[in-house]
Amino acid sequence: MQAKFVHGKILRNTGSGIFYRMEVAIPDRIDFVPGQFAMVSGWPGNDPLLPRPLAIFRSGGVRGKGTVEFVYKVVGRGTALLSGLHAGDPLALTLPLGHGFDFPGEDRSWWLVGGGVGFSSVFPAAAALDGQRADFEIFLGARTRDQLPPGEWIPGGTVPGRVHLCTDDGTAGFFGTAAAALRDRIDRGKSSGLAHVAILACGPREMLKAVAELALPLDIRVQVSLESHMACGFGVCWGCVTAVRDGEKSVYRRVCREGPVFDAKEVAW
Amino acid sequence: MTQHVSPDLSARVGSLLLKNPVMSASGTFGYGLEFTPFYDISRLGAVIVKGLSLLPTPGNAPGRIVETPAGMLNAIGLQNIGVERFVHEVAPRLTDAGAVYVANIYGRTIEEYEAVARRLSEVPALAAIELNASCPNVKEGGIAFGSTTGGLTGLTRRVRAATGKPLWVKLSPNVSDIGAIARAAEEAGADAVTLINTLVGMAVDPRTRRPMLSNVTGGLSGPAVKPVALRMVWEACKAVKIPVVGIGGIQSAGDALEFLLVGAAAVQVGTANFRNPNACVEIVDGIRDFFVREKISRLDDYRGKLLLP
Repeated sequence: MQAKFVHGKILRNTGSGIFYRMEVAIPDRIDFVPGQFAMVSGWPGNDPLLPRPLAIFRSGGVRGKGTVEFVYKVVGRGTALLSGLHAGDPLALTLPLGHGFDFPGEDRSWWLVGGGVGFSSVFPAAAALDGQRADFEIFLGARTRDQLPPGEWIPGGTVPGRVHLCTDDGTAGFFGTAAAALRDRIDRGKSSGLAHVAILACGPREMLKAVAELALPLDIRVQVSLESHMACGFGVCWGCVTAVRDGEKSVYRRVCREGPVFDAKEVAW
Repeated sequence: MTQHVSPDLSARVGSLLLKNPVMSASGTFGYGLEFTPFYDISRLGAVIVKGLSLLPTPGNAPGRIVETPAGMLNAIGLQNIGVERFVHEVAPRLTDAGAVYVANIYGRTIEEYEAVARRLSEVPALAAIELNASCPNVKEGGIAFGSTTGGLTGLTRRVRAATGKPLWVKLSPNVSDIGAIARAAEEAGADAVTLINTLVGMAVDPRTRRPMLSNVTGGLSGPAVKPVALRMVWEACKAVKIPVVGIGGIQSAGDALEFLLVGAAAVQVGTANFRNPNACVEIVDGIRDFFVREKISRLDDYRGKLLLP
């Protein structure tokens, strides 16, 4: 659907450590694809100036009365200000924005990889797959234990063996990065074949590059959701671009418009 | 009961009569069509399209924007599709949107500026050409021409001769005497001057020890620049007889009114579009509401009526 600029009202904004879930009442129901995002601002004054991109977690409601939910991590001034807002506070949102994940119809095993704030794009993908009763596993990486999102917030996360938590310092789950855990999973999966596996990944560029380098040589399709600083989020400032292959050359494409989800084969790593 | 007659917001910029004094600034509004999901862009005084060059331009490497206190730095590097693709793919669609369009142009050489201006002169959908003599982010993005009166005179004269469309010249604030620069544009045949373009700025990361922008320096915009812009627009208005279009940090109707009060014929709204896609029309509505409240019936009764001590 086409993006809209709307004024919303916060219904709840509750935290667990540095992680927050925020539900917002908006004038109309929106349809979105996991991986799409909203530009969100709600603080008074001109500083910070720009709204913040937040992945859309869920939408609800009916025509004429909608809700949208975000799961976010406090990483800087903008998200810190958002986390300080309360039920009843106004919020300005432009949504839904960008090009989300592509879920082809056929049966697949989906491996979702989220590093750092990348969990926020992986969660809606997991929720969609969980709704379809699809086969999926999740790899979530962070520097340390309290940088990992609360386990009970992971959609479909109670299924045994589905969730692989990873920390760089070994304080929780797998001792290493999410990409390293994925490498082990690929090695274990080689015996039974990987042709049915598809990967969706979101996180720091180095992680996405590592995932692409692991999976692409094995002919596993990889979709990556890129992070970038954005001013507008809807394609007019040209600030968020990334280099994408175009034959022998590379061209700059907008992360907010042609992305944030790209086929890993297209990205000029 | 008083009868509310909608105030007359029409604004004249040289030979062009605009329905109101609010335009979108180049580089913040795409080709205008990107905003049609949000509102009817024909409600604006005019739409200034993203800067066009003779050939498609890839733009600068990523690391193009950084937020700063009440502002932002950008170094996009004028990424654009080039004038031919604009003429063939975009221009035919502009007429349908029903807005008044002004094309912003730049070149690496005077000859490129002339070629772009000549090509765009054939596009009926364009009401005027805005000459970017001030982009700080490419070596030959105009600032080479726009930072001295001699350079600006030479460029403006040549482009003036290359097009029959109204010619606006967008000025750099990175000069010591904005009045003299504005006068140079006027004497070289500009129909209007528009100012300010961005102020050259810089941001670095203390930990990585690297600049935040791949271009190292970039153009500062947003509310942070408004007082500087307002002062320069005021000075330019005193220096020239041609219309001055005010730009710089306008976020609200109140901001726009300040520029009109110091003498601007009209204003352009830029960075505000990034945080609120409806910013331009909200400013149009806000000016109208202000005029109704203050019982001002025409823009001309307010514009330039600054009361000095």
